[in-house]
Amino acid sequence: MVGALSLYAPGTSPLHRLPASTKLLGLLIGGLVVTVPRPDALLLGIAAAGVVALYLVARLGLAELGRQIWGVRWIIAVVLVGQLIFLPWHVAALTSTRMLLAILLAALVTLTTRASDILEAIERGLAPLRRFGLRTERIALVLGMAIRAVPIVIDLASEVRDAQRARGVGGSITAMVVLLLVGALRHADDVADALAARGMDDDEEPVMLEGSVRPRGASRLRLRR
Amino acid sequence: MTPAATPHAIVVDAVSVERNGVRVLESVTTTVDAHRVAVIGANGSGKSTFARLLNGLITPSSGSVRVAGLDPARQARKVRELVAFLFTNPESQIIMPTVAEDVAFSLRGSGLPREEVSRRVIGILSDYGLDGLADRSAHELSGGQKQLLALCSGLVREPQILVADEPTTLLDAANTRRVSDALVALPQRLVVVTHDLVLAARCDTALLFDRGRLIAQGDPAEVVARYEREFC
Ligand SMILES: Nc1ncnc2c1ncn2[C@@H]1O[C@H](COP(=O)(O)OP(=O)(O)O)[C@@H](O)[C@H]1O
Ligand SMILES: [Mg+2]
Repeated sequence: MVGALSLYAPGTSPLHRLPASTKLLGLLIGGLVVTVPRPDALLLGIAAAGVVALYLVARLGLAELGRQIWGVRWIIAVVLVGQLIFLPWHVAALTSTRMLLAILLAALVTLTTRASDILEAIERGLAPLRRFGLRTERIALVLGMAIRAVPIVIDLASEVRDAQRARGVGGSITAMVVLLLVGALRHADDVADALAARGMDDDEEPVMLEGSVRPRGASRLRLRR
Repeated sequence: MTPAATPHAIVVDAVSVERNGVRVLESVTTTVDAHRVAVIGANGSGKSTFARLLNGLITPSSGSVRVAGLDPARQARKVRELVAFLFTNPESQIIMPTVAEDVAFSLRGSGLPREEVSRRVIGILSDYGLDGLADRSAHELSGGQKQLLALCSGLVREPQILVADEPTTLLDAANTRRVSDALVALPQRLVVVTHDLVLAARCDTALLFDRGRLIAQGDPAEVVARYEREFC
């Protein structure tokens, strides 16, 4: 799921050409259809067939579909096992299936839509909220940065894990969390500098204390006026 | 050349910088009006601090900095239009998910029409051989390609000056060569902090820092020789 967020597969299929806003709306409706009604084998069967058809229409192929499912196998497994404790197995299976279908639909949108188009559609969709002082372009920017940050944080996590293994101290969750946090904060600091250097700071001139380091960009990226 | 003769000269006058009560730059005075300027010195000698003064990421505790007549501490926005910055780790300066999007991000708020934005984006990407990767996830690029992308994202704003802080430190030999070649060929003024003495020697002048002081400035071959003699 997380991997899919950063993966756009360029193409010219009908799904690729559909406007991002249409696809997002479709995702919303499709997501509601598979998740809101009580789990029902027939409905989910039809939905699953629909999802397979959409992957084919997008010319992504069954291999890509398989890759997406493989990518979320652990998430689904955790959900499934968690439910098996409380629910009969067929209910648990249906609930997990609909979650998988929702994820596959979301992945379909990110696979066929440039992130910038998604962000632009969201920005336009949020535009009415500007009246309440919301800086919608900033919200879209933050979403874009979040998408970009996902693979970086995943890399960081595997780096930390490898380093722990290399020192023969695998399995310390606390150490893992602390190192990951430190790494993520350092990354955030660097990104803040880069944002400021690229002219993406607040509109006003920053108020500078003599001798101080510039107020960090990220914390100054205000979402409201 | 006198500073007045070069419109984008960098004038640093008696600048000291304190961070957390520690003096990290000590009364640095210099005028930079060469085309390509290398900044060298040991770890912790104040090179990054000096570089960050030039676009207002750090402000002096005392003294003054002028870039093309502007004060980066008070006119940060204008100065950053003039000065692009290349950091060591391209990972943290690529903001958007895909290659073309990241370059286009630099032109947000420029008021340029969409077609003009994509024309410029593709133009700069092909200058650096990245046009074939426009729709790729930035994450999939090699280290050298990432650094070139970061360079494109800085240059697309058509700055007058590029400041680079150890831009090749994380790269292998081939990519170091590629990025160095790109930097040395820039029409813009270049200020490059580097431990790569080959790159330093390809510049027109060099500054040598030691424990927060600027201790030498001049012909790169001589300054590099002194650095090797005294610090290696
Ligand atoms: N945020 C900070 N707070 C306090 N001291 C710092 C900070 N950043 C850097 N320094 C110190 O400033 C000195 C110069 O750092 P820097 O300019 O990064 O050196 P260089 O780039 O030459 O390695 C170093 O001694 C470093 O420890
Ligand atoms: Mg440094």
